[in-house]
Amino acid sequence: MTVIAAATGQAALRCRSVAVVFGKSEVLHRIDFDLSEGEWLGIIGPNGAGKSTLLRAIAGLTHYEGTVALHGGRVPSATDVALVPQSPILPAGMTVTEYVMLGRTAHLGWLSRESRSDRSLVGLVLRRLDLASFAERLVSELSGGEAQRVVLARALAQQAPILLLDEPTSALDLGHQMAVLELVDQLRQQDGLSVIAAMHDLTTAGRFADRLVLVEQGTVVDCGTPAEVLRQDQLSEVFRTPLQVRVLDGEIVVLPSPRRI
Amino acid sequence: MDDQAQVVAQPRVSVGPIELLDAVVDKTFRLPVLALFGGVAAVLVAGVFSATNGAADLPVGGVLRALLDRVPLIDIDSTLNSRQAGILFQIRMPRLVLGLLVGGALGMSGGAYQGVFRNPLADPYLLGVSAGAGFGAVLALGFGLDLGWGPFDAVTAAAFVGSIAAVAASSLVARGSWSSPATLLLAGVAIAALFSASQTYALQRLSETRSREVLSWLFGQLGTSGWEQVWILGPYVVVCGAVLVVHARHLDVLRVGDDEARALGLDPARVRLVVIGAASLLTAAAVSVSGLIAFVGLVVPHIVRLLVSHSYRVIVPMSALVGAAFLAFVDVGSRTLVAPSELPVGVITAFVGAPFFGWVLWRGRAAL
Amino acid sequence: MLTKRSLFGLALSLGVLASACSGSDDQTVDSSTTTNSTTTTQSEGVEEVSETDVPAEAELANPDFPLTIDSAGGTWTLESPPERIVSLSPTATEILFAVGAGDQVVAVDTYSYYPAEAPVTDLSGFDPNVEAVVEFAPDLVVLANDANDLVAALSALDIPVLVSPAPADIEGGYATMAEIGIAAGRADETAEAIADLRSEIDQAFAAAPDTSIRVYHELDDTYFSASSFGFIGAVYAAMGAVNIADEADTDQFGFPQLTEEYIVQADPQLIVITDQVSYTAEDVLARPGWDGIDAVAKGNVVVVNADIASRWGPRLPQFIEAIASAMSGVQVNS
Repeated sequence: MTVIAAATGQAALRCRSVAVVFGKSEVLHRIDFDLSEGEWLGIIGPNGAGKSTLLRAIAGLTHYEGTVALHGGRVPSATDVALVPQSPILPAGMTVTEYVMLGRTAHLGWLSRESRSDRSLVGLVLRRLDLASFAERLVSELSGGEAQRVVLARALAQQAPILLLDEPTSALDLGHQMAVLELVDQLRQQDGLSVIAAMHDLTTAGRFADRLVLVEQGTVVDCGTPAEVLRQDQLSEVFRTPLQVRVLDGEIVVLPSPRRI
Repeated sequence: MDDQAQVVAQPRVSVGPIELLDAVVDKTFRLPVLALFGGVAAVLVAGVFSATNGAADLPVGGVLRALLDRVPLIDIDSTLNSRQAGILFQIRMPRLVLGLLVGGALGMSGGAYQGVFRNPLADPYLLGVSAGAGFGAVLALGFGLDLGWGPFDAVTAAAFVGSIAAVAASSLVARGSWSSPATLLLAGVAIAALFSASQTYALQRLSETRSREVLSWLFGQLGTSGWEQVWILGPYVVVCGAVLVVHARHLDVLRVGDDEARALGLDPARVRLVVIGAASLLTAAAVSVSGLIAFVGLVVPHIVRLLVSHSYRVIVPMSALVGAAFLAFVDVGSRTLVAPSELPVGVITAFVGAPFFGWVLWRGRAAL
Repeated sequence: MLTKRSLFGLALSLGVLASACSGSDDQTVDSSTTTNSTTTTQSEGVEEVSETDVPAEAELANPDFPLTIDSAGGTWTLESPPERIVSLSPTATEILFAVGAGDQVVAVDTYSYYPAEAPVTDLSGFDPNVEAVVEFAPDLVVLANDANDLVAALSALDIPVLVSPAPADIEGGYATMAEIGIAAGRADETAEAIADLRSEIDQAFAAAPDTSIRVYHELDDTYFSASSFGFIGAVYAAMGAVNIADEADTDQFGFPQLTEEYIVQADPQLIVITDQVSYTAEDVLARPGWDGIDAVAKGNVVVVNADIASRWGPRLPQFIEAIASAMSGVQVNS
């Protein structure tokens, strides 16, 4: 098993009083949380709660107030956090290999070309994600599941110790959802990555995440293990619909209340 | 569906030997030698074709001998008389070389503009270069504005300053919107309209003789070129061309959009600033010596894209070669089709380029 | 060979002449048949036209108003000689003043700066504004061409218009002069002026050397040139010179754009440029690759007044004299 080692040893991330203001409306309000090394942190909450904005703030794509810092106090850059966007742009005419190489951007000097080691790393990543046979395929012609793996490969090539996933499976069917999340989990465990994932589906969030952060209207409502956060009363209130939380074969399952006809 | 779930769950089997994949990866990022070779060959063929054809019926053998004689270490007798030699070396050759340079400059700038704007309709005149140059030329030809300096005569200098002023104005209007190609593009449209209106207004104040002079300048011509224009444009092609080729890799990153590019660690605004700066300088220099030659900057990058690759590290250098060969070739038509009369080269670029482009589109059926 | 367009204009001029002579409206109808017949007999060309012109000129008599004028500006009946003429054509302005109708002219366009007493305004002949023209309350507007649909606008306001396009050759110029002079109600003076001009021009031609030297008349530095199919070029042809632009002017438009290589190869012995371009004779002499041209080697590059060399008008003899002296200069040198 080839391990794509992180370029830096620091994986822990600290967010303190992170606030994002668009115009006059505050989208995020004083968000605090910590990410431990090797941890999977799930961010859950209804649409418009600010999950994506939080990830964008961490990735440095949006202006924020407060502190986002790595263990050593450094503000994370593209070599520290790799973002897998919700709906990535897959350019026409770009091959999988070219696309994965884009992940090396932050490691290359302004005027330099990719080196032999960059190329072999891309080869390694392609093999790692079983994309070797896709190397010359065009990204625009891939199926949803294939494309998601390719985007993940690009993030992996970025060699950042922290993966930011923005609802990575929202466009996939159930089988592909599980496949992609299993893959991420595997990478996390084998390559020592930490993951922050905005997640739509509460059951899968509970299954994969070590801890969950529940966000509502830009504020952290609750933070803790899935068992602590996924409480029936709390979720029903936040999502404004009666929900049922059950434990099936030792796993927490969140369901809408049965329809009464 | 299922197989993918399995793929992840079970230990994977490598699809091919490691060496095979590595070879694919290496190949992806190798220089497209074959295409570049083809481009250089096209330039050479266009060059020889252009050197041996023209309104003056110079003997082909004599032309080739005279040209070979100029190659270092080769010494053969040219059979041309002095007037024929004058036509070849003072009129035909500078025109040919300028055609190559202008075509290369426009092709390369067009590719770069399409990259920074992520817009297949972008051409190098987008930010007002053409309108600015036209306004400058009107001021110089009609109102005696003389900014001439060194090798730049009054018209060239004014056109150059005008184009740069227009691009700078567009950038200023779109202040802080370097990260938004649409804003910059709209600013360019507004500024171009302003300069065009000024140009039309100024043109109205001119006598018939003067306005015809301005108009035939605007039409785009290689017909009046000499070595002087070659020396003006040459350095820009070399310097700006090098900048564009080096930055082509960043244009590939921009293809995933500004947002993702920033997440990947690239500053789109910085790329845009450098690339638009270099491409605009190059275009301004080309326009100031040759007027407005339409179509090359728009279509040549697409031809490269459809025939060779979508990657800007291929598009930028290849557009220079294809643009150069294309314009030099088309200019032969400009000189000979209605000889001894002259057909404006911009007319033929569209006449030849549009159907060819249509054919490539139809044949390729590829999305841009 | 004349172009259809210029023939048409010419025929119209003659039509006016004919109708003016008889003073009858019926003749105007005939003018359209004249147009047709002339158009269909193009091959007979200049000669035929000049033949019909001579008797017309001789018969010039005091025209009795009402007078019918017929041009691309429409058919108009003038009840009395116009008193407030607006001319948007420098050629027409020169003619109006030459036939003594200067007092009747109330406004002329920006470029009608000859003669000096012409009432120059900022009216434009290229891009005319109908309101600005109407402001002068004209009873006749003379145009060189119908820019901006001015004819339709003036017709709607019932203002008579005479469109008098640039003549294609010298004989056509006399017809233009007659047309404008008669419309201004100055038939006698016009006949005299034409007779004087004709003799001046004939004298100038007689004094000119009849040599077959090669001439290149350059209009601008993108090598637009005047061929023998336009009236400037016709002057060279009348002196027996070979105009190098003729070979390029396959569509007989009169102003072909030449290729530089061709100019050098054609080896003109005289190069004529005008004084309104942005470069000088020295610049022409210094053009790279041109040193093999006979005219450049011997310094035979002359500069002529652009107005005289681009407008047909009463000053044509000056242009002929200038060219004649330049050509005899070539003669001495060679």
